[in-house]
This record gives sequence, C-alpha cells and structure tokens, in this order.
Amino acid sequence: MLELNNLTVHYGHKRVVHDVSLSLAPGQTLGLAGESGSGKSTVAMSVLRLLPRSARVEGEVLLDGEDVAAMSWGRLRAVRWASASIVFQGAMHSLNPVHRVGEQIAEPMRLHGTPGRVTELLEQVELPRDKARAYPHELSGGQKQRVMIAMALACGPRLVVADEPTTALDVVVQEQVLALMTRLVAEQDLGLLMISHDLSVLARTCEDIAVMQGGELVERGRTREVIANPRHPHTAALTAAFPVIGDPAHRWSDPAPAPEPLLRVRDLVVDYGRTRAVDGVDLTIGRGEIVALVGQSGSGKTTLARTIMGLRAPSSGRVIFDGVEVGRGSRAIKAFRRQVQLVLQDPSSALNPRHTVFDAVAEGLRVHGVPGDHEALVTAAVERAELRPASLYLDALPHELSGGQQQRVVIAGALVLQPRLLLADEPVASLDASVRGEIVALLLRLRAELGLASLLITHDLGLAWQIADRVAVMHQGKIVEQGPVGQVLLTPSHDYTRALLRAVPQV
Amino acid sequence: MSFADGVRTGRGGAAGAFLAHRTGVAGAVALAVAALVAVLAPLFIPADALDVTRVTAQAWQPPGAGHWLGTDHTGRSVALLMAQGTGTSLFVGLTAAVLSVGIGTFAGVVSGHFGGLLAGALLRVTDFFLVLPALVLAIALSTVLPRGLGTIILAIGLTSWPSTARMVRAQTLTIEARPFVERARALGGGHAHVIGRHVLPSVVPLVLVNATLSVASAIVAESTLAFLGLGDPTRISWGAMLHQAQLHGAVPQRAWWFLLPPGLAIVVVVLAFTLVGRALEAVVTPKR
Repeated sequence: MLELNNLTVHYGHKRVVHDVSLSLAPGQTLGLAGESGSGKSTVAMSVLRLLPRSARVEGEVLLDGEDVAAMSWGRLRAVRWASASIVFQGAMHSLNPVHRVGEQIAEPMRLHGTPGRVTELLEQVELPRDKARAYPHELSGGQKQRVMIAMALACGPRLVVADEPTTALDVVVQEQVLALMTRLVAEQDLGLLMISHDLSVLARTCEDIAVMQGGELVERGRTREVIANPRHPHTAALTAAFPVIGDPAHRWSDPAPAPEPLLRVRDLVVDYGRTRAVDGVDLTIGRGEIVALVGQSGSGKTTLARTIMGLRAPSSGRVIFDGVEVGRGSRAIKAFRRQVQLVLQDPSSALNPRHTVFDAVAEGLRVHGVPGDHEALVTAAVERAELRPASLYLDALPHELSGGQQQRVVIAGALVLQPRLLLADEPVASLDASVRGEIVALLLRLRAELGLASLLITHDLGLAWQIADRVAVMHQGKIVEQGPVGQVLLTPSHDYTRALLRAVPQV
Repeated sequence: MSFADGVRTGRGGAAGAFLAHRTGVAGAVALAVAALVAVLAPLFIPADALDVTRVTAQAWQPPGAGHWLGTDHTGRSVALLMAQGTGTSLFVGLTAAVLSVGIGTFAGVVSGHFGGLLAGALLRVTDFFLVLPALVLAIALSTVLPRGLGTIILAIGLTSWPSTARMVRAQTLTIEARPFVERARALGGGHAHVIGRHVLPSVVPLVLVNATLSVASAIVAESTLAFLGLGDPTRISWGAMLHQAQLHGAVPQRAWWFLLPPGLAIVVVVLAFTLVGRALEAVVTPKR
C-alpha cells in the first residue's frame, strides 16, 4: 500500500533523510523510532507531500502504486485524507480553538464529500456524542487526541500516519489512547505508520519496527526480535534507555539505609482559589537520599515542589530544613535557596537565550554575592556537570548547545552554590533517550561524590526504578503511598499505584 | 568548533542584517544628513542673517541666485531658516521621545513585574492617558505652562507614553512567564535581579525600536503645536516656520517657497525615522 524507495530529502545542503526504503501493507503496523533530528518526521510528512517548499525530495513515494511526487495538485488533494491521513503531534495546537470539535471532524468529510456521521466517529473513539458541541479547551488532553484520531478516520483512509500521538500525555491517558489505536487498526484493517522516540510505545502498538539515526534507516524487523536482540548499537542504546521495572539490571543504585532527615515537609496544604492542589502532604528526604515523587499530571507534584522552594506560599503546613523551620521572610527564603536548588523540566527554556553559559552558571553566585573567584567556581561547577573542558562551553549561548548539554548547564548553575538538595522537576522528560541515561548517571554520581540529596518529580516510573531510594506516589494532592522503591513498585499496596504501574508500556 | 562559528554569526550579524534593509539604510543616511545640518547650522550661519532688524534683502523674494529658497515676509533667507530649524525639530523630537519612552518603559515594567494593586492602578492611569485626545491635552498643557521648548517637550512626552507602556508590559509578562525567570527566583534572585538581568535586556530592543518610531510622531506633534502658535516664539523650527507662513499670508502671496520646504523636511525626517524603526524592528524581532 505504501512504498518508499530510496527516499532522500535535502534542506538546502543539509541531508535530513538518506536512502530510506520502507513498505507497508494494509493491516500492517510499522513503528518508526529515532531521536530528535533523526529524520523520522520528515519521512512521515513526505508520504502526503507535506514538506516545506525548501525541501528537495529524491526517490519514490508510492501510495497504492501511485507516485506522490508525480500527482497533480487536484489528485493530491483527493488523496490527502481520503486514502492516507495524519494524526499530528500536539493535539492542543492542531485543533482550531474557535470551532466546535464536531465541525472540525466534519471538515474533511465536507471537503471530500464523504458520507458519514460525526456521532459514529465519536463513538468509534469512545467519546460521548454530545462532545461534538464542545470547544477544544473544554476537553482534556486525552480527549483532544481522540478527536484528532476521529478526524484522521473521517474519510475512511486505509493508511494512518501518527506522529508522536501520545508524547504530551501522561502514562495513564497514553495507555488509553494506545489501546484505542490498536483496536481501531485491528477492526478497520488500517495500515498504521507510527512515529515515536519512545520504543516502549511502539512496542505496545506495532508489529514491525524501523529505527532511524541521522537520516538513515539502521535497523528494521519484527518489534519483538529487534528489541530482544538489537543488532545495531543505536537500537541497543535506545532499548537500554527504557528501564524495565522489576529488572535488577536496570537498577543503577542500591537503596541506602534510612539516613538522617534533611528536609521534612509537615502537613502542607496549598490552595489555588477553591481547588486544593496539595492536600496535607508529609514527606521526608534524608541526607544524600534520592526520593522520587510520582503521579499523573495534575496530581499536584509540581505545586508541591514550587511550594517547598518558597515560590508559592502554602495555605498551611511547615517546611523544616536541617532541623530548622524555613521562615516566610525574604531573607530566610534566600538563605534557604542557597541550600536547595531547582532543576526544571525543559532546559531550553530554563536558560535565558541571551546569557552565555558563564552568565547562566554564575547567576546564583551574583545573586548571593558569593565572594571569591567566580571564574574558577563556574569552571569547577561546569566540569562537575561533565562539560569538559569547561573553556569550550563558557562563551556558548544556549541555542548552540544540545538538549543534554543545556540540562548540564542548568545542573551546573545549581551545583555552583554547593546545595545539599536538588529538586528536579522531570529532569529528563524532554531529552532524547541516549542523553537521558547520561543525565541520570550524572545525578547518581553527584550523590556519590557530594552527598547531594534529590527530590525527583516525575511521571516516569521507570526513572524512579532506575535511581530512587524511596518512592512517594501522589494522587489528587495527597501522597497515597510511600516507601522503598522495591516495596512500592513491586508490591504496591494502593490501587492508584497499581493503576499507574499497569499503564506503563513494557518493552 | 561548530558553536564558535555560531557565536560569530549570532552577534556580528545585527549590523549586517540592518544593512540588508535598503530602506532602513536610506532612512539612516537621511537622518545623518539632517543631524549634520543641525550641528553645523548654528556655527556657520551669522546671527545677522536671521535677525529681522538687520536683514537687507527684500521680503517675499522667489528662489533665485542670492537666496536658494527665496525669502520670507521679513526678508530672511528661507534656506537659512530651514537649516536653523533642523536642530530645534530634531531636539524636541528626540527629547520628547526619550521622555515618553522612559515613562512608558517604567510604567510597563513595573506593572508587568509586580502585578497586584500597584499594577492595577498604573494600568488605569495608562488607560486614562490612552483615551485622552493627545493633541487637546498637549494644547491645554502648553497654554497653562509657561511658553518654551521645555513645555512642548513635556506636553508631547506626557501624552504619548501609554502605547509604549502597554507594549512593554506585554513583553514583560511574556518574559516573566518563561522558566528561566522562575529559575532565577529559585536561585534566590530578588526583584532587582529579575528586572535587571532578565526583563530589561529582553525589553530594551523593543523599546529602542519604539523610540525611533515615537521620535517621528514627536516631530509631527512639535510641528503641529508650533503651527498652532503654541511653540517657543524665540526659536525657529519647521513647525514655527509654517505658522509664520500661515500668519503672514504666504498663500495669498503665492509664496510656495515658504510653505513647501518646511513641510517636505518634516515628511522626509519623519519618514526616515519610520524607515529606520521598521528596519530595526525586523532585525531585533527573533524569527524563531
């Protein structure tokens, strides 16, 4: 049905896809894996000739035996959506906020004159009929993604291309959307080309898998075999980056015996207007201990971290650091923030684009008026964060660095103040699989060398399994379960923990 | 190193990018000529030539060999008046723009950064000035205050800042929502740190662009006020020349040489500032 023969795409002089050949039969599911910049999205867009004008395409893209490049404009419009459709990446940005979703689902049907009913499509994607009258902002992320899927199915295509369909969703919703796609593919005998950086997502949905690196196809085969016996080193690196919960080989640290407490949170309550975001949380982090705080988006874990940092005022409750209660005055909070540092999720936005690496790392020193040779301190911190030699990086601007390097700069900016606790909010969520492992290892090494304790906020239970000593599970503002990693993740006692664990796609 | 190349193109590129805008370069050249005239005119024009009591030429002379642009109702050379007026127009335009942009930036950053009651109050004041007809307010101010250049500058500056304030506030809010500001706060940075290191550097390029554009409107405003006879009577400016021409009947005299040059000069300088502003805007605005 879909055949790519020696597809090569250039943007100017840059070759982004090189000599890729793939084929897909009706009813077949193919996963395309790769890191950012590997060319996987370019391949997907070339199927419907959706690449920008500046792209130079060589090779053939055959859709039902017809060359897409040779199609007339009218023919191409007829083919788009009717024989192949796309589920785009960000559902929240791909829906028009001023139209009801029912109208948006009906739009391709109207354009192509396809008979059919919006309500039937909504039923297929398991949404109630009356949601057709809803506007996008009235739907949750998972519901919006379902609308996108209903849209893709509107004209009865035989091929669906899904570009990172679940990337912005949390584990539980992701599992629901993946289950829906698997069911639809089986029922309607669709061909599915799914693109993701996450091998476990592809393993959940696709029979076959193709791995791309630097624009080239490096491995292709049955999903099960490729993941069990990767032949190419890049595939092996990708598989290794997704830890299997319960596998001791993926545990990177041994749980330490319960140390002396460093930070204690007592009965903390935070309200946003009438909603209670954090509801009576008790949490203890020991010296040099890594505690993972896990939960779905909206569970209040980020609010908890912000409140501990003093970036939000709690409604009630206490934060005790090193035996002393942290005051509310600006002086007390400033002193506390020398000891506790925050590492944010997306390093590209956590660094001021106008500041060089030196400025970004030295910012904390300037804020606190730390005496001494700033250059030497910054260099030491940058090298601790494993950007070596530091002199190569100090004058660089953030956009000149890769995502992993940017996150190291953020970590160096925290380390330069010699803190005793790091609050890391999804520190690896926006990083590529191969980089993720390096950052995780860095956090562990910092603990070993400096005795640095961390509170790791994450929705990724695999990450918790890899490095945490203890896990606290947060649900609707409350901590429903906490204890040593092995106990919480292997013999969970709360229903919610079990639900979270069930939703984790397994490689 | 790949990123070392990136640094060079990233920072050295601003001047090059500006030079790529031909209209902007044309505007900059026009401004340079105007500035040169403004600086040199007082040095080279003898005081006698502009003194009504000492001029020897006849009134209402059309352009000719002795007077390139003819003479006015008192016999003074229009060309010399034009040159002398350049300085006043540019000075008023620039200072009024600096005043207006200064007030606007302050109000915008403060209301954007602090929020709460203070921001609410500042915003209401901004709205109040925004809906006031600027010209009427300026006329009222210049009638109440003693006549002089200072009054004109104040009148223009006080009426034209709200649009800058709105824009700066919007930019401040955008920057404040970025995670790197949260990181700065988490590092322990206070208000001064966040404003000085993060907000202002991001706002300044926009403010500069806005300042160039407001110089243009300040020059028009100065000319308008002077034309209406509210200017400083002791100084020559393009607007004041138009006022004189109107007052002494240049139209019935068919003395086009007294009316056209100041009008055209205003158009050219205003256009030049606008072109430079637009080109700067294109250079400064990130394309990402």
